[in-house]
Amino acid sequence: MRVVAALLITLFAGSASAQVQGVKLDEPVDMPPFAFTNELGEDFTDDDLNGNWTIVMFGFLSCPDVCPFTLGNLEAAVAETGMRVRPDNVPKVAFISVDPDRDADFVSEYAKFFHPDFESFTGSRDQIDTLIEATDSFYRLMKPDHTGYYEVQHSSSVSVIAPDGTLRAKLQPPFDPGMTAEFLARLQIEYRKELSQ
Amino acid sequence: MIRLAFALMALPTALVAGDLVVEGPIVPLAPPGAMAHAAYMTLTNTGDVPRQLIGVQAEGYLMAHIHRTELKEDIVSMSSVDLMEIAPGQTVAFEQGGLHVMLMGPESPLENGGTVELTLEFANGETLPVSAKVVPMVAGGHGHGS
Repeated sequence: MRVVAALLITLFAGSASAQVQGVKLDEPVDMPPFAFTNELGEDFTDDDLNGNWTIVMFGFLSCPDVCPFTLGNLEAAVAETGMRVRPDNVPKVAFISVDPDRDADFVSEYAKFFHPDFESFTGSRDQIDTLIEATDSFYRLMKPDHTGYYEVQHSSSVSVIAPDGTLRAKLQPPFDPGMTAEFLARLQIEYRKELSQ
Repeated sequence: MIRLAFALMALPTALVAGDLVVEGPIVPLAPPGAMAHAAYMTLTNTGDVPRQLIGVQAEGYLMAHIHRTELKEDIVSMSSVDLMEIAPGQTVAFEQGGLHVMLMGPESPLENGGTVELTLEFANGETLPVSAKVVPMVAGGHGHGS
C-alpha cells in the first residue's frame, strides 16, 4: 500500500507538469499468477511476462474516445522504441478488456487493428480484479441506464512490465510517441544497469 | 423536451443553419468489433443569439450521444451531455479526450474515405446536417496539435 501511495503521489505530481510520459516506480512490484484468454483460444498469463518487455493496458471495446487514442499512440510509441532498442526488447502490448460481458466474443480483433502484433484478451472478473490490483490500476462498471447501456471508468495510464515479470513503470497521457519511446528506452537502460550491479 | 416544444411553438418557421458553422467533421477508423466510436468537429456560432445543441442523430447507428471524456487523477470517465450552450461567436471543439459525438451500434464497419451522416439538433428546433469523413487514425491524436 505504501508503494501505491508513493506511486499515486508521483502520478499526480507528474500530471501537473506537461508532457510527462511516464513514471518509474521506486521499487519493482511482483505480478501475481493470472490468466486471460480471447475467443481465438489465445491466452495471456504471467508466464508471458518473462523474457520480454510488456505493456499492459486496461480498457473496453465500447470506449469511443480514449482507448483507440491510447492504442494508436502506443503503436507509434512502440514503433519509435523499435528504433532505439534491440528487436527483442521491443515491448509486447496486451490490451485487457474489463468488460467481458460485452467484449468476450470478439475481443481479439481490437488490439490487432492498431498493430498486427498487439494482442487483446479478457477474462473472469476475479482475474481482471487481480491484475488491476497488482498494477495499481482502476476500473468501475457504472450503473446501466434505462436501455441497459453502461459506462466504464478506467485508469488512463498503462503498465510497463520488465522481462523479470515485475511492474517497473506507468505510461500516462498524452502518450506522445517520441517522448514515450525515449522514456521506455531509458527505463531499459536503467533496468540493465540494475541487473548488472 | 418541454424546451424543444416551446421553442418550436415560438419559432414556427424553419430556420436555416446559416449562423452555425461546422468545420473538420471526421470519424477516425475504428477497430472491428468496436460497438462505439467517435466523431469530432468544431462548431461555431456566428450568429447573434446563443444556441443550444441538445442532441445528434447518426445514419447507420443505433444511437448517437454527445459525450464528454474527463480525465481526473488518472481515471477516465465519460458523461452524457444533454445540452451544450454555444454563445454568439463561440467555437466548441469536439476533440479527442474531450467533447465527442459517441456513435453507438454501427450497422456496418467503417470504410476509409467514406462518410457518416450526422444531424445536429438544437433547442430551437433547428437541425444541421453534417457529413463526417471517415479518416485513418493518426497517432498524436486529434486536437493535440502534433
